[in-house]
Amino acid sequence: MKENTNSFSLQATGRRVRSALSQQVAFGIIRLLGFVVVGLLVWIQGFIIVNGVGVISWEFLTEAPAEGMTSGGIFPAIVGTLCLVAGSMVFSFPLGVMAGIYMNEYTKDHWSVRLIRVVTNNLSGIPSIVFGLFGMALFVNTLGFGDSIIAGSLTLGLLVLPIVIRTTEEALKAVPDSYRSGSVALGASKLQTIFRVILPSAFPNIITGLILAIGRVSGETAPILFTAVAYFLPKLPTSVFDQVMALPYHLYVVATSGTDLEASRPIAYGTALVLIVIVLLMNLLASLIRKRMSKR
Amino acid sequence: MKTDLRKRFGRNSYRRAAAWLEQAVEGLFTFSGWISIVIVLLITVFLFKEGFGLFQAPTVEKGYVLCVNPSNKVERLDGAQIKRIFDYEITSWNEVGGDELEIRPFRFEEIFDYYSDEELGADYELLPEKLAEVIGGDESVVAFVPEQYLPQDRAGIKVVDTGHITPGDFFGGREWLPTSTPAARFGALPLILGTLWVSFFAILIALPLGMGVAIYMSELAGERMRKVLKPAIELLAGIPSVVYGFFGLVVIVPLVQRAFNLPVGETAFAGCLILAIMALPTIITVAEDAMRNTPRAMREASLSLGATQWQTIYRVVIPYASSGISAAIVLGIGRAVGETMAVLMVTGNAAVMPTSLFEPIRTIPATIAAELGEAPAGGAHYQSLFLLGCILFLITLVISVSAELISKKQRQVV
Amino acid sequence: MKKIVFSLCLLACSFGAANAQKIKGSDTVLPLSQKEAENYLKKHADAVVTVTGGGSGVGISALLEGTTDIAQASRRMKFDERNKLKAAGKTVKEVIVAYDALAVVVHPSNPVKQLTREQLEGIFTGKITNWKELGGKDLKIVPYSRETSSGTYEFFKSSVLKNRNYMSGIMSMPATGAIVQSVSQTPGAIGYIGLAYLSDEVQAVKVSYDQGVTFVAPSIAHAKDQTYPIVRPLYYYYEMQSEALVKPFVDYVLSAEGQKTVADLGYVTIK
Repeated sequence: MKENTNSFSLQATGRRVRSALSQQVAFGIIRLLGFVVVGLLVWIQGFIIVNGVGVISWEFLTEAPAEGMTSGGIFPAIVGTLCLVAGSMVFSFPLGVMAGIYMNEYTKDHWSVRLIRVVTNNLSGIPSIVFGLFGMALFVNTLGFGDSIIAGSLTLGLLVLPIVIRTTEEALKAVPDSYRSGSVALGASKLQTIFRVILPSAFPNIITGLILAIGRVSGETAPILFTAVAYFLPKLPTSVFDQVMALPYHLYVVATSGTDLEASRPIAYGTALVLIVIVLLMNLLASLIRKRMSKR
Repeated sequence: MKTDLRKRFGRNSYRRAAAWLEQAVEGLFTFSGWISIVIVLLITVFLFKEGFGLFQAPTVEKGYVLCVNPSNKVERLDGAQIKRIFDYEITSWNEVGGDELEIRPFRFEEIFDYYSDEELGADYELLPEKLAEVIGGDESVVAFVPEQYLPQDRAGIKVVDTGHITPGDFFGGREWLPTSTPAARFGALPLILGTLWVSFFAILIALPLGMGVAIYMSELAGERMRKVLKPAIELLAGIPSVVYGFFGLVVIVPLVQRAFNLPVGETAFAGCLILAIMALPTIITVAEDAMRNTPRAMREASLSLGATQWQTIYRVVIPYASSGISAAIVLGIGRAVGETMAVLMVTGNAAVMPTSLFEPIRTIPATIAAELGEAPAGGAHYQSLFLLGCILFLITLVISVSAELISKKQRQVV
Repeated sequence: MKKIVFSLCLLACSFGAANAQKIKGSDTVLPLSQKEAENYLKKHADAVVTVTGGGSGVGISALLEGTTDIAQASRRMKFDERNKLKAAGKTVKEVIVAYDALAVVVHPSNPVKQLTREQLEGIFTGKITNWKELGGKDLKIVPYSRETSSGTYEFFKSSVLKNRNYMSGIMSMPATGAIVQSVSQTPGAIGYIGLAYLSDEVQAVKVSYDQGVTFVAPSIAHAKDQTYPIVRPLYYYYEMQSEALVKPFVDYVLSAEGQKTVADLGYVTIK
């Protein structure tokens, strides 16, 4: 009998030791995986930065490509990307914010809002190349815009619309209901409440969404492939119906075509670095705003 | 502004104007609210309208027909037969139901080798006659000619029935040769399978890594470590896909080639690796959220029963978050399926049925990106690319809806 | 405010388009047009030249739709393209701006130095799959091709494959530069590239079009004296109507200075 309990407790200790050991092993592996992810990021970014940083110079940022894309700069591509980003935001930001207001302020938890939310989620899941197809069919061919800033901007705008809608909705949700009732109790109309009370307090969060959307748009290639970009166009655009060069497409072209790939590699690294820096800056900006918000 | 209005219209009319404005703005909001639905509908309409046009397209290039000598018994040829005839793989008429006779494929341009421009007339008005001569004079010929230059009443020739492109050709076909003449081959099966193949294995790679990190972030990491990891993952998500593609092209592809001693580095595996990295942020974020949502009470109950932390994680937290984790997997696949530029740059783009990870592969998005620019609008090739877009659209639709349903299930459990 | 900016942009557009010209089409001609445009713009600061790729077919259909002023092509206009343009009431002028020789390239370590047309056809249609069959090492042949409907793809198909289809599932690269890159990294690779793309990283093989009697190496000299068989003209097509607009640029490309650029880039000059 006594022996029995003894062996039982021994077994129990053994099990405990084993489970402690398995926990240590499991946690060790999991920690390692965490480092792997950080390592991946450092590897990719480090690779681009190390190879690209020597290329960046004032000339690189302000001059047109020269010598068959093997020297000179990427200025037209930077300007083109700026145009596309600005255009897509002009289109998607007001629309997305208004959609967010509609969903959160006018018809909360109605079936139509649930439907819209599901569809918006679907929209954000549609691959960017499908947007490219659609943009080409609608803006370039049907509406006759041709390959142009406006066609590319609209296509990109559609792509980020779900992001803007969702961040706006989240931002508005974060505004306490007491603000709304307070404002209405003071005799303000719904519109006044929205514009004077709710939007101002939700604004920083909405802006965060806008910034993230900009980060996303500036790196997209597939949607503008058939709607906006030119291979070589050193002149800056003068109208929204002009074609433009764009950074992501430029990187693609420089990385895969050209008569001398080795000679154009530095340009590719430089372009990739500029793209990454834009994304970094946008993320940094967004988190700064978020931080200031939470302090308040 | 307001006082101005008040002065001009008086109190009442100001109020009326304000009410009107209120309504107008509300209308604007409502319209914007429905915009996503409008866009999805528009996308559906445009994609499917263009895409399904393919099934009205003739098998043989539009405006052209295949003609044979009237004495030939063959009445119809399908796309695969036509392709093999013009590739000199089918060489005898009896292989396609005709006589024991060698086939002589004849392309329209060859007429200029037989006759000079003068003989054909200034506006090629004599061309039909000469074509009839060539076709009528040779029992073994099969000629690929423009319909407009057929002799009047099709005298002395016989037009072969070649039919239209069918859904079976598209979804079941194994040859993707969209610019082959006389009959372009739109077999999308290798592309569809290639897309799923590369996405599936990408998730297989990303899943253990992503799960590990998600567990780490939700259960183990201290505040300091989370502060490092969270932005790192956001940045990983923010890197443009063309940069991933470039990185894959110059780093991953040579690495894969050397590591596995392969004849080529542009393989499905290189694509899988890049896609896995790209799908990681999605998987981590969604799975971590799901695990964090495990009620504290459940964890504490498990721990107080003497379970270790690790036992609590894999016996309580993971089962509880399982639907959230499934949603993470599904969304990760969605991300991988639609990825274009990175895949285009590293997978070799060979339209073959996937059998191994270490062979090149061609995906739907890469095909669209590579070919749409070169496909004249309105042609069968253009339409086939839109149809591919439709397939992609449907795949991602199924993915979004199932992710939605899965996470709804979790909410109900709560 | 946004509306004002927008309408200003619209207004600017109607003025800006006056002396702009767009060149679109073949990726083979792309580096040439790009360089020519670059030099041309140095001399004519007020001109606007846009150069876009896409492939010969796209350039020509853009000409048909009126969305480009010059279509650059690495093959001659097809019969039905000509017909379509005619039907649309457009008279199109054809100008040969340069010649391009297609070099067949393999990995530098490959001992196979020469191939006949028939062997090339076997390789690219998938009938010959190992270098051993061609007197080389026991190594799988990895043929690289361009994307479908690029002019290079079509020209190689009609000249070397005698219009037969490439093996299904051939590796297709989005641009010629990518072929150079891949061939230089892959011991068993073979690919075809414009002479302009030839570099030390890959090795060009001699080609025979007479069943192996004479093998000729691809070079500008051999392309000029017509002993090298895989040579094609590169074209500019433009509408007669817009001749006044595009003539200065086309003339520049044909001028001694423009042709020097042709030679510098590794293409073959017209004279």
